[in-house]
Amino acid sequence: MKFSRRDLLIGSAGATAGLLLTPVPWKLLGDVSIWTQNWPWIPQPARGPVETKQTFCTLCAGGCGIRVRMAAGYAVGISGVRNHPITKGALCPLGFAAQQLNWHPQRLREVRHGGRAGSWAEAQAAFEKACGEGPVAVIDGRSGRAASTVLEAFARKRSGSYHVVLSAESEALAPYAEWSGVPVTALGYDLENARTIVSFGAPLLDGWGTPGRFTRLWSERAAGASDPQLRLIQIESSLSRTAGRAWQWVPIREGSEGKLAAGLARVLLEEHLVSSHGPMPQLSLAEVAAQTGLTSEAIRDLARKMVENRPVVVIAADGNPAVAALNVLLGAVAAPGGIVQRREHLQAQARPQATFVSPRAVLLDSTVPWEFAPQTDAEVFRFAAWDGGGNKTGWLLPAPGFLEEFTDVPTAPTSAVDTYAVALSLVTPSPEVKSATQFLLEIDPSLPAVEKVIHLRCEELFRARQGMVYAEQPIAITTFASAEKFEEQLRKGAVWVDGPPRPGGVRCELKEWPAEKVVSHGTNWAAAWAPPVFPALATKLYQESNLREAPAGRQA
Amino acid sequence: MTSRRYLLVFGFGFALAMVAGWVAFPRALYVRREQPLEFHHKTHSEKSGLTQCDSCHALNSDGEFAGMPPTEICAGCHAEKLGTSKSEATLVDNYVKPGRETPWLVSSRQPANVWFSHAIHMRGGGLACSDCHGNYGESDETRVYEQNRISGYSRDIWGHSISRLRRAPHDGMKMSDCEACHRRHNIEAGCLGCHE
Amino acid sequence: MSARYGMVIDLDRCTGCGSCMMACAAENNVPPAPPKATTRTGLTPMLVHKVSNGAEGAAKREVFIPVTCMHCANETPCVSVCPQQAVEVDKATGIVMQMPQRCLGCRYCMVACPYHARYFNWWDPAWPAGMEKSLNPGVAVRMRGVVEKCNLCHARLHSAMEKATAAGKKEIDPADYIPACMEACPTGAILFGNLADKDDAVYSAAHSPDAFRLLARLGTEPKVYYKSEQAWVKALAERDSDHAKESKHV
Repeated sequence: MKFSRRDLLIGSAGATAGLLLTPVPWKLLGDVSIWTQNWPWIPQPARGPVETKQTFCTLCAGGCGIRVRMAAGYAVGISGVRNHPITKGALCPLGFAAQQLNWHPQRLREVRHGGRAGSWAEAQAAFEKACGEGPVAVIDGRSGRAASTVLEAFARKRSGSYHVVLSAESEALAPYAEWSGVPVTALGYDLENARTIVSFGAPLLDGWGTPGRFTRLWSERAAGASDPQLRLIQIESSLSRTAGRAWQWVPIREGSEGKLAAGLARVLLEEHLVSSHGPMPQLSLAEVAAQTGLTSEAIRDLARKMVENRPVVVIAADGNPAVAALNVLLGAVAAPGGIVQRREHLQAQARPQATFVSPRAVLLDSTVPWEFAPQTDAEVFRFAAWDGGGNKTGWLLPAPGFLEEFTDVPTAPTSAVDTYAVALSLVTPSPEVKSATQFLLEIDPSLPAVEKVIHLRCEELFRARQGMVYAEQPIAITTFASAEKFEEQLRKGAVWVDGPPRPGGVRCELKEWPAEKVVSHGTNWAAAWAPPVFPALATKLYQESNLREAPAGRQA
Repeated sequence: MTSRRYLLVFGFGFALAMVAGWVAFPRALYVRREQPLEFHHKTHSEKSGLTQCDSCHALNSDGEFAGMPPTEICAGCHAEKLGTSKSEATLVDNYVKPGRETPWLVSSRQPANVWFSHAIHMRGGGLACSDCHGNYGESDETRVYEQNRISGYSRDIWGHSISRLRRAPHDGMKMSDCEACHRRHNIEAGCLGCHE
Repeated sequence: MSARYGMVIDLDRCTGCGSCMMACAAENNVPPAPPKATTRTGLTPMLVHKVSNGAEGAAKREVFIPVTCMHCANETPCVSVCPQQAVEVDKATGIVMQMPQRCLGCRYCMVACPYHARYFNWWDPAWPAGMEKSLNPGVAVRMRGVVEKCNLCHARLHSAMEKATAAGKKEIDPADYIPACMEACPTGAILFGNLADKDDAVYSAAHSPDAFRLLARLGTEPKVYYKSEQAWVKALAERDSDHAKESKHV
């Protein structure tokens, strides 16, 4: 039989008919469509059990309580802690995407020197050599931690100097520290007892102090009401987020905060609206009006409004002493609702030095904000978890990232009461990463270990027998049987909060109205944030919504 | 060309396609994959006295289903080697000691967008494990894992029968199987009820 | 369960911080779109708009309006146009549930939605290397070519249902089902709850005289309400066609 082309065609027809009666075309159609929906390059989340751990965010000094959902050893979800007595479940917007930070494209994963890759051994050798040749300056971005004690101890032992970079909120408290002799790290604002808050450009509702503290307070007592329990008066040159929500927005010419403060002081004294008798500023009301763009009548009206609902407190955006002097005049220093001194139970606080001796080397901890660039010819050893760009001549040393370091959380600046908590290392860092304290401990093993310092601090707090521990429920510290039990609770995510601030304490007396000091303007909340990068999601969402301008220099 | 010849050739092609489609295709479509180690349920339930499925495949207090038990459950007995089998050696050396999870191939794994709550079906609906998974807990051999080469899913999802006709009660875990059972019991779920 | 989940957003409390946007995107595994994405092509299931009163200088006022899917209850526009039945109004909860896996990407629903609350995946979801380890396991990642939107964090509803069943209860505990946006808001501006439950705080908020809805005149019965004591903000809802010019996102 000859096998012809016709046979082939007819056979194929038969095969086609047959194929239609088999599962082949139907199953292939279905399977191929599933295949097209499961491309291997589409990332998939981890499978497996999800645990929730409670700890604290360490990206800024706020120390917000966080609940971290963990899957396969990594953080997959962050939310606040509702019963945290200060933050009450709030976080800053960046906190909600912080689980992404450790994989940010700018994450540092190797030692870099002069723009090229280096090694820890080289860095250590260079640092030890530098220490041998001259004094070393150690710069801490967040004082009060156990790690700060280690940094300060190292500087002291090597006849170097230890310096602290103050946040903008702390800078605003600096004048009171100068006038009273009380260290700035012991001062805070008793906002909970204030009835009028006059903010000179401080972004109280947008990244000032601890996220959640003021937003919750304001929401409870002030939001929306035309005659609220808490009056927020925002003095600012533009309509910021805080100004937009404030009870009253006072628009003034940019840079004229100090002048306005002087004008208000004059009115308060001339109209005997305060019990204080001076000092009287030199500027006349007409001059102040001209400088600020407000009318004299508006300034008088503002001064009267300020004292209508006492207690009143003034919050500056920076360390302008003229604005601070207003608080002294108003009697808001060491009074309920005003500037208060915290009790400071933890004695072993590292004390910063004021002067910057010309060092041979400068070591910057990873908590130093990227914007802080030391003006020096010394060899720079900068610890950072993320690369903020810029100068590449020094050493860039990869530090632990988010949730990768066991550390403690001291009282946040601006807090009215002392707090203490412990942040766990929930995520195992890569072996290439090392913190400044680990680095220094390798060079000098006689330094105290961070864990040891934290343990001693827990003992100190336990012995002081003051304050409450907020775990599931708030309980007095005196109910714990031992310091170990107390530390155990802290390691589970509890926070210790001291009792109310001591009355009196801070005493400021001014002989004359302070001269104006030109200080950096306003607090760019994102600039003060130690990681110099936003989580990738934050950058994109802000771009896609035009809700915020990303600060200059920040990359996606 | 006679019409008989046409018929013959046609029939030949037809028969070839039938064989290819019904016999060769199912064999070729699925690839057999090895589990990381052998596990016999019956041996374990006899030796340890753990006769309930949820001794190892448990629901936690929030109702989440553990699925394949984590290595630490196995380590509860197998922290060290108890016997001489190769499988146990693999378990202890490769997974228990290093603290790694065993990469089991899960034959009932659903796509990521499916939400199936064991708590709701078992505690709420009164279903038994064997209603969907069969009497696997009494088996004394490791089940063969077959994977669809194209879609990547286990053969258990489509079911063993390639045509899905005349299949066993728990052969197949496609959406239509879920829907059929829901219809039988008159329980409406909507899209929201089952999808992530 | 028979509920009608909705939200009341207090515009006097919203400070425009964007926490709700972040938390929503993190919870729902929303990928950071590539640098070329714009306000129109980005993925923002929760999107906060800034609207001003049009004045300048000292008389200028701004309000921030968080916009998500409104979960329209009447003749839901997206549901009626979808050729794939990839979206439906869930009978038990009132949630308008979008099924991206069923979507074929025709984007008819994006045209139909009066609130522009639907977003298209123009690109494959991609994260920087390693970042996929931070993805939320509770929510499936979508693919390129499908539309997605707010589903009122239904994965959290699922967890609440599972938890209730494990505890032997028939109804979920409302405290267990809180969407990411409400959880994140630092001023408590977003209130979520069951509009069918008269005891729920959201019911009284939605029925307060200061409550209003966007584009209420269309009759789609959105279940997301807004609230403000400021007259100019309330007037926005009525004159929204004029004020669309002011907003940066139309």
